[in-house]
Amino acid sequence: MKTQIVGRSLPRVDAWDKVTGQARYPGDFSMPGMLHGKVVWSEYPHARVRRIDTSKAEAHPGVVKVITYKDVPVNEYGINIYDQPVLVAEGDKVRWVGDRIAIVVAETERAAEEARRLVKVDYEPLPVVSDPREAMKPGSPLVHDERSNTNILHHIKIRKGDVEAGFAQADVIVEGYYITPYVEHAYLQPEAGLGYIDEQGRVTIVSAGQWPHDDIHQIAHLLNLPEDRIHEIVPAVGGAFGGREDMYIQHLLALCAYVVRRPVKIVFSREESITRTGKRHPFYLRHRWGATSDGKLMAVEIEGISDAGAYASTSIPVLANATSFFAGPYVVPNARIDGYTVYTNNAVTMAMRGFGATQPPVAYEQQMDKLAEALGMDPVELRLKNLFDEGSVAVTGNAMPPGVGIKETLRQAALAAGWREENGRWRRPDLGQPAALHKRRGIGVACAYKNVGYSFGFDDKTTARVELSLEESGAIGRARVRVGASDVGEGVHTALAQIAAEALGVPLERVEMAPLDTAEVPDAGSSSASRHVYISGNAVLRACQEAKTRWERALREESGETHIEAEYTFHGRNARPTTSYDPQTGQCEPHISYGYATQIALVEVDTETGEVDVLKVWAAHDVGRAVNPEMVMGQIGGGVHMGLGYALMEEFIQQEGLVRTRKFAEYQIPTVLDMPPEIVPIIVEVPDPTGPYGAKGLGEMTTLPTAPAILNAIYDAVGVRLEWLPATAERVLSGFRSRRGFGNLNGAGHQPGEKR
Amino acid sequence: MLLEMTLNSKPVSVEIEADDLLADVLRDRLGLIGTKIGCNEGECGACTVLVDGQAVLSCLYPALKAQGRRVETVEGLVADGELHILQQAFVEAGAVQCGFCTPGMLMAAKSLLDENPHPSEAEIKEAISGNLCRCTGYYQITRAIQRAAGEVTP
Repeated sequence: MKTQIVGRSLPRVDAWDKVTGQARYPGDFSMPGMLHGKVVWSEYPHARVRRIDTSKAEAHPGVVKVITYKDVPVNEYGINIYDQPVLVAEGDKVRWVGDRIAIVVAETERAAEEARRLVKVDYEPLPVVSDPREAMKPGSPLVHDERSNTNILHHIKIRKGDVEAGFAQADVIVEGYYITPYVEHAYLQPEAGLGYIDEQGRVTIVSAGQWPHDDIHQIAHLLNLPEDRIHEIVPAVGGAFGGREDMYIQHLLALCAYVVRRPVKIVFSREESITRTGKRHPFYLRHRWGATSDGKLMAVEIEGISDAGAYASTSIPVLANATSFFAGPYVVPNARIDGYTVYTNNAVTMAMRGFGATQPPVAYEQQMDKLAEALGMDPVELRLKNLFDEGSVAVTGNAMPPGVGIKETLRQAALAAGWREENGRWRRPDLGQPAALHKRRGIGVACAYKNVGYSFGFDDKTTARVELSLEESGAIGRARVRVGASDVGEGVHTALAQIAAEALGVPLERVEMAPLDTAEVPDAGSSSASRHVYISGNAVLRACQEAKTRWERALREESGETHIEAEYTFHGRNARPTTSYDPQTGQCEPHISYGYATQIALVEVDTETGEVDVLKVWAAHDVGRAVNPEMVMGQIGGGVHMGLGYALMEEFIQQEGLVRTRKFAEYQIPTVLDMPPEIVPIIVEVPDPTGPYGAKGLGEMTTLPTAPAILNAIYDAVGVRLEWLPATAERVLSGFRSRRGFGNLNGAGHQPGEKR
Repeated sequence: MLLEMTLNSKPVSVEIEADDLLADVLRDRLGLIGTKIGCNEGECGACTVLVDGQAVLSCLYPALKAQGRRVETVEGLVADGELHILQQAFVEAGAVQCGFCTPGMLMAAKSLLDENPHPSEAEIKEAISGNLCRCTGYYQITRAIQRAAGEVTP
């Protein structure tokens, strides 16, 4: 479809405010008479709270109130299950070091900081459950003994075909045991915000939420108030990546305002941000795959265990997603797959860029390369033999819907990286080797895919409202779009404004995105699942189409109207209904739409130090339709950044539930000097006919293939398989030495965060 | 005590405590919230401002050290309502996503270009290597600085 505005790299609608320093983030808001809050955190990962003594803190100069469980009307919350206390009660348990005992509210930040150290808590330490594989076993201490007699929070089974028969037909079988680490979101803007009672008497929160309407829903429950007595304002958000999908400060701000009836500001330190908030799930992934000698996958057997940490958060839907992706974007006739998520006393784990789609390719793409090696086949060629086409049947029994661009991403990335195709046979490029003998080059391929929108029967929907102000001539002077989509930095407001401008036939400057206040804009779901361009884009598109129709009618009828409104609620199920897992076989219609990706990494490994330099990444992404190509490039750069950190550097380390990586000096994310000097972005556009202008989703897919591509490249360079992330210099070196008989520090039996 | 400095080309005097840090004075006492605090311990670069043209981490910089000096923040980049060439380049090159690192990046880049108007790519990367960004992968930021330096054309 020919378009005027969709498909153009127009500047972001919020760029001017952000480059001039005018954009206000949650920590930038202050009010007259404002107080400061500081949280008293749990000192133990697992302990019973015998007694909380707030008397000294209350007597400290400047302290207005020490809020405890006694002040919480309904002391429970959680995005999926209400299994978390807002503030832990006497007699109850702390289950990780992110549990809260109290909030000290004082006239100054300094007084609050001093007084929080004066809250005395008497704990009875309990045995710490720190490894989900142990926690699953009968007899393990229980994290939620009052809820269940097992730590297993959820188990999903997929059974397809006859796995034994499949393996019997296989000529080669490859295995692996892969361990992915805890990952910190590390958005640059620490958790912050303001809570107050507004002039209408409503509890008001200014904070950076990914799904503010859901925050309101939870806060209404815990304050026992009607939802219309609470609203959340989301200003500029300094990154989220899933870490702001759950409430992390919103409920505390609301509680403070509700209790003290004055404005209260809370700002977390970076250390609090790292040590006391949720992380990406570690997964323990055991794989066994069989293929025929001509490279056809016959059977897979996979067990994946994720560490849910102390509370459920979104661990169940993350597991559901992950389990559906364990076997990758490949046609497998026979599959036996089990996914578990298990409570421990480790950090709560939650959404993080990929939502269960990021860990599986670390395993399935190394499995693919192991198969290629065992078969003596080029890794590109082997993948092309097994990748999905439109209509291919996934392990969950569903046919892949139109718009399957995975093979196209692989072909384009491989050709760009120097592969040659002759009569269906693929030949890898000759890399050459560096002059320095201790440095070896390697190249690695990885494919990946992920759902767009919420899955498994969840009613994923967005409501958008558009208001047209007409000029005297009848022309559209201004279009105001009301939609509760939180722009967490990815640029969703710009993308939706472009879709609106395109649909209305007006320049982008005439479109205004209404500020996000839950009382003023309708619910658009969460800024997650790479869903806004698809789900909210569809809602905006249709609301604009309806408004345009009304506007054209008004013009025809010369009605003299100056204001036209239209509203539309788009449900994902109207495009493609999804269903939940069959409890016995896991067969279902899992997802609405999909985005596809291939990345190829060229690396250089120093065999004396184990250091890995990523020299170049080719990143091919099927986005259906690039609404704003420059923003697509931005997502690719950021996705590769996170994937490179995942592969080589980032590891949130806990020992027996206590955090060892407390600051950026200890939890290192890539700087500009760590990034590959060159990324070759390749935008592939295989449209989804149900997407707005054919668009799918992109944000998460950009990070999925990076780590496995780098790991496969390391193997190609030095023959070391890194099944335990991150592939730090020490681990690469240790693997390299063990190949030469110097002993092995890699592999099974270790868990993320375990110190050697 | 009184801190007197030239802030974004204007003389400013402000009452401060002896142990105040420059970032807090800018944000809390002067209301210049464009300078961001990402870690408050000198590890992320979001608080970068210029003192006598040098990029400093204002979250570690004692405010009193700025006594009598020339301080520049992101708010001072716009002149006569026009974006600074770096700001314009950041907008056009897609160098802004969440924007929280942007003020610090801009100031680090300004310090570089003021001293070295035509830096190499390596010099640009060196200049922003203390500034963390979690959104962009840095490519469009580097490109924007090159663009502002006239090293690449759009």
